[in-house]
Amino acid sequence: MSLALAVMILLIVLIIAALAIYLIATIVELIKINKGLAVVIGSVGEIVTKTAPVNGVLDAINGNLVAGRNLLENLFLKKGGDDCGGLVESLFPGEGQKFLNRVGRRGPVVNTGVVYTRGTVILASLGRGAPIGAAHAKGPAVRDAKYSTTAAAMLYPRPGGDPKARPKSPVVGSNSPRQYEASSTPGVRPRLRDGSEAPPPSAAPDMPMGGRVEVRKPAAAPPPPPPADGGGDAGPGRLNVKGKRPWER
Amino acid sequence: MLIAAVSGTLALWVMDIILVVALLLLGGLVKGVLGAAKSIVPRIDAIAGVAAAASKDLDAVVVLLTTQNYISQIVGSVANYGGSLDVALPDA
Repeated sequence: MSLALAVMILLIVLIIAALAIYLIATIVELIKINKGLAVVIGSVGEIVTKTAPVNGVLDAINGNLVAGRNLLENLFLKKGGDDCGGLVESLFPGEGQKFLNRVGRRGPVVNTGVVYTRGTVILASLGRGAPIGAAHAKGPAVRDAKYSTTAAAMLYPRPGGDPKARPKSPVVGSNSPRQYEASSTPGVRPRLRDGSEAPPPSAAPDMPMGGRVEVRKPAAAPPPPPPADGGGDAGPGRLNVKGKRPWER
Repeated sequence: MLIAAVSGTLALWVMDIILVVALLLLGGLVKGVLGAAKSIVPRIDAIAGVAAAASKDLDAVVVLLTTQNYISQIVGSVANYGGSLDVALPDA
């Protein structure tokens, strides 16, 4: 047998052996893949089984929510009228026009949060005597877009009384008016503020020259009785309509 | 006669060369197939793990039935509240 023939036979054997080895290894890996896919298919089947009723449940939930939304929107349209878009705009800026488009209405969207101050519309609808509440029924809304806080201020007019009846604040500083006559002697006031004669000053106590100065305690006098509760004319302090404040009693 | 013998031997050697090339080529191809098969196995295992975890997570889907019941009750309450508001508030 020639050498070339022997080499040929050897090469053929090598080819067959290589193919066999690699193919057997590939078959083993394919078997592993098959087992893995079997496990995956089982889990996927569970997923399909568990998610099967989800569609029906979600459809039912969605139907309920849509019914509730329609109910509230229709109630809102019924009660809010033309202002509903503005109310939505005041709560969710930029959503008022979308809301009107969604419910099939058209018209300008006026942000009620800008036209009215917070709570004005609520108080007006509750009948607190606001000017916008007086003409609230069917007529056009009394709005003042430029001075929107006026409506809120009119709800509680003059909580501190008539401002013209209040005493003015005293003028202090270099421009303050002179209320007392100038005195030539320190500590002596010739006239009072209203121009009447001032009482004579009390005699100064005799001061002994040298020696020890005794400081005597004055005779113990009974303390003044506490003012009656609610009495408004005794003692300093700010008073309100019900008398002194609790921390001033 | 000599020419025929020489040509036969040469043909055998040429055949040997072809077999060597075929051995290398087939070996490379089959090795590639084996590598691809081996790379699939860990991914299949990963998918199996994810699928098992997803299946376990979906155990809470049953709670949706309770949610559906609650939402139905809430919508009913909202409807009653809306009816009260309809009576309490004046129309625009």
